[in-house]
Amino acid sequence: MLQNLKKALEGIVVCDFSWVGAGPIATNVLGQCGAEVIKIESKNRPDLLRTAGPFKDGIGGGLERSGYFANRNPNKKGIALDMSHPKAREVAVRLIKKSDIVINNFRVGQMEKWNLGWEDVQKINPRIIYVTMSLQGDSGPQKSYMGFGVNLNALCGLTERACLPGERPFGTGTNYTDHVMAPSHALFGIMAALLDREKTGKGQTVAVSQLKSAISMAPTSVLAYGANGELLGPMGLGDPDAAPHSVYAALGHRKWIAIAVFEESEWRALKKVMREPQWAEDEKFSSLKARKEHEDELNERIEQWTKSRYADWLMDELIRNGVKAGVVNDARGAIEDEHLRKREFWSYLDHPVVGSTLYNRAPISFSKTPLRMESAAPLLGQHTSEVLTGMLDYSQEEVNKLVEEEVLV
Amino acid sequence: MKHAGSLSNLRILDFTGELGPYAAKLYAGLGADVIHIEPIGGDPLRSIGPFYKNRPGTERSLQFIYYNAGKRGMVLDLKQEKGREVFVELCKGADILFESFTPGYLDGLGLSFDELSAVNPKLVQTSITPFGNFGPYSKYPGSDLTCSALGGFLYLAGIENDKPVRSCDNQAYRMAEVYAAVGSSIAALFAQRTGIGQFVDLSCMEAVGMALETAAQCWDLEGTLRRGRGKEAGTATIHPCQDGFVAIVAIMGRNKGMWTPFVQWMKEERVEEWELFDNDRWVDVAYRESKQAYDLFCRVFESYTMKHSKQYLYDTGQAFKVAISPVSNGKDLLENPQLIHHDFWKTLHHEPVGGNVICPGPPYVFGNLKWRLGNSVPVLGEHTAQVLAECGYSRDDIAQLDQEGVIYVAKP
Repeated sequence: MLQNLKKALEGIVVCDFSWVGAGPIATNVLGQCGAEVIKIESKNRPDLLRTAGPFKDGIGGGLERSGYFANRNPNKKGIALDMSHPKAREVAVRLIKKSDIVINNFRVGQMEKWNLGWEDVQKINPRIIYVTMSLQGDSGPQKSYMGFGVNLNALCGLTERACLPGERPFGTGTNYTDHVMAPSHALFGIMAALLDREKTGKGQTVAVSQLKSAISMAPTSVLAYGANGELLGPMGLGDPDAAPHSVYAALGHRKWIAIAVFEESEWRALKKVMREPQWAEDEKFSSLKARKEHEDELNERIEQWTKSRYADWLMDELIRNGVKAGVVNDARGAIEDEHLRKREFWSYLDHPVVGSTLYNRAPISFSKTPLRMESAAPLLGQHTSEVLTGMLDYSQEEVNKLVEEEVLV
Repeated sequence: MKHAGSLSNLRILDFTGELGPYAAKLYAGLGADVIHIEPIGGDPLRSIGPFYKNRPGTERSLQFIYYNAGKRGMVLDLKQEKGREVFVELCKGADILFESFTPGYLDGLGLSFDELSAVNPKLVQTSITPFGNFGPYSKYPGSDLTCSALGGFLYLAGIENDKPVRSCDNQAYRMAEVYAAVGSSIAALFAQRTGIGQFVDLSCMEAVGMALETAAQCWDLEGTLRRGRGKEAGTATIHPCQDGFVAIVAIMGRNKGMWTPFVQWMKEERVEEWELFDNDRWVDVAYRESKQAYDLFCRVFESYTMKHSKQYLYDTGQAFKVAISPVSNGKDLLENPQLIHHDFWKTLHHEPVGGNVICPGPPYVFGNLKWRLGNSVPVLGEHTAQVLAECGYSRDDIAQLDQEGVIYVAKP
């Protein structure tokens, strides 16, 4: 079928001022769906992630070796445009005229300084979806409070519960909110605005709050406190409706197996795989309620069994018998996992400086408009000439002049 | 204009349970007509706690209330031929169908995407499952914990040889759901423009791959297997205070510009031994990663934090431009001055419990589209008759189907 070759967002153009984490992850997904994403940077103001590790072969320096940057920016076109130069705005204006979406995650006021706030942009192109992403909004007593993903994880309530009882809260170990919650809500907001534009013909603003996006995806502590005045506290590895439900040591360095037993049939299946040990027949493990009451002892017993076995063997046996189980994969395990490979979650893209390196696609499989993973992250300014002459109707002479004048740097 | 300021021209079917509800909630929040279809006996999420006033009951699950506010609800038995006929009728008028059945289950009932597509070529069917509809694990049983583990997300939530800890609110499910909403909106736009619907496949295991941060690239580029942050002094560390904990990023990499305000803060608060921080060795990552540095940081900083509340430390540190934040619990969030200022928390009066449930408000604000929590949460079978009537079923048909147990109609 011919439509198989079409990309879902073919024809959509994104004028992308966003940098670091949340913004580029959102535009990455749009690009994979076929949108033309034009990423604006400057040597005088590169995307900060270009200087953040990991680096190819562990060698930093320069702007083209960061894997942190790369994985957020494949399939995009990079232009070098120094927005602090007075002549830069005209280039941006031409791009905005051709665009459907303008996105930034600067502090409030930066775009306005360039006369590219919503009021201005609306006049340039009334069909624009204008996306801003602030940590806590642009009004209120804490509007200028700063924070990284780790701070936001804590502020939104995730960290407090990701904790073993009696220990310090830990959280996800990553800047989780930046990587998942903020970009995914920005994406849905953008798409909702595009769907609305189909009816109205008009663009609109989409102001994403990173804090509120995060809370929306982790609401239970507030629901419980609001309704019952109760603090839920550390969650450990358990689940109120399952036992056993934890992560157990297996053979080898930092190897664990996750096991989750919700149903009595799953408990019977687990006992079968364990070869019906005597202890498991005890009254105190005979129902979910009983197992929850003796959960520590239950977990110790199970770990006695798992710790002398390989995690992959445990997973195979448990799954085969209908028990929910999974190896706690490290990154290598996930990269080499046969399921993710067969689903083509990973791909290797060729880059002029670092060669072939690893990327992941968005976790969405469309039956008729497949995602594309075509080109590696752009070098800073790699597509300046191509975009200006091809899309924005500049002549090569004009481009050269703008380079000389240090507008296109 | 009839649909001004909302996505009310979209009709969404939400046949999901514990896994899935946030996807359609995002649409309901912008005014789409979302119909939550439950099996006979109800959505399993109805029996998941915490419950209103801690008393279990079909209409008392706080998560069910939050995720299904603003949707309409009906009950339908797909195991019966007549139930399947109703389902096909519903699909005729739908833009998006969210479902979280085991891969192959609907096909086995004669309700495959091809069959549904034949009656509605514009239909977008979005499946949300632990492992997705293709690949060697597609038929495996899975849960939030095991998907988090297999995808490499769980491993990061720990340091050194510690076991990882788990995130709350089933984040593997939530990640798949939010990307299901995104994928469906992309497919719906494509369908509006071309008339072509499609099948969209979401896997929780795969979705957690979006949360690996640098871990995959650390392995690919440097051959290292990273775990979580948490023991590098002052860089994403968590410290106890008078009434809980705070999280701080006083420095990242070799960014001395971040560290200087932190030292100034410690100095002006006359923290005992603050001078120990006034030293360039703290800019050295290797030093901060040492046990000695971590222990020293904790000793000096915590001698100060233990005397103050998380709110005081948040306000004071931020005044010095230090990235510090409280480790909020449910109470802190409800009392958060910024969120109160924005009128973020919304109150939903839930008739069956005779009380109010406080829910999170809008994650975003639009120029034109209006967000809403929804006025109510469907009780079991509340809109079954209404939805069927809209599909052209007569009162007698509906009564008959109810009597035969094909559908369930809530009795007033």
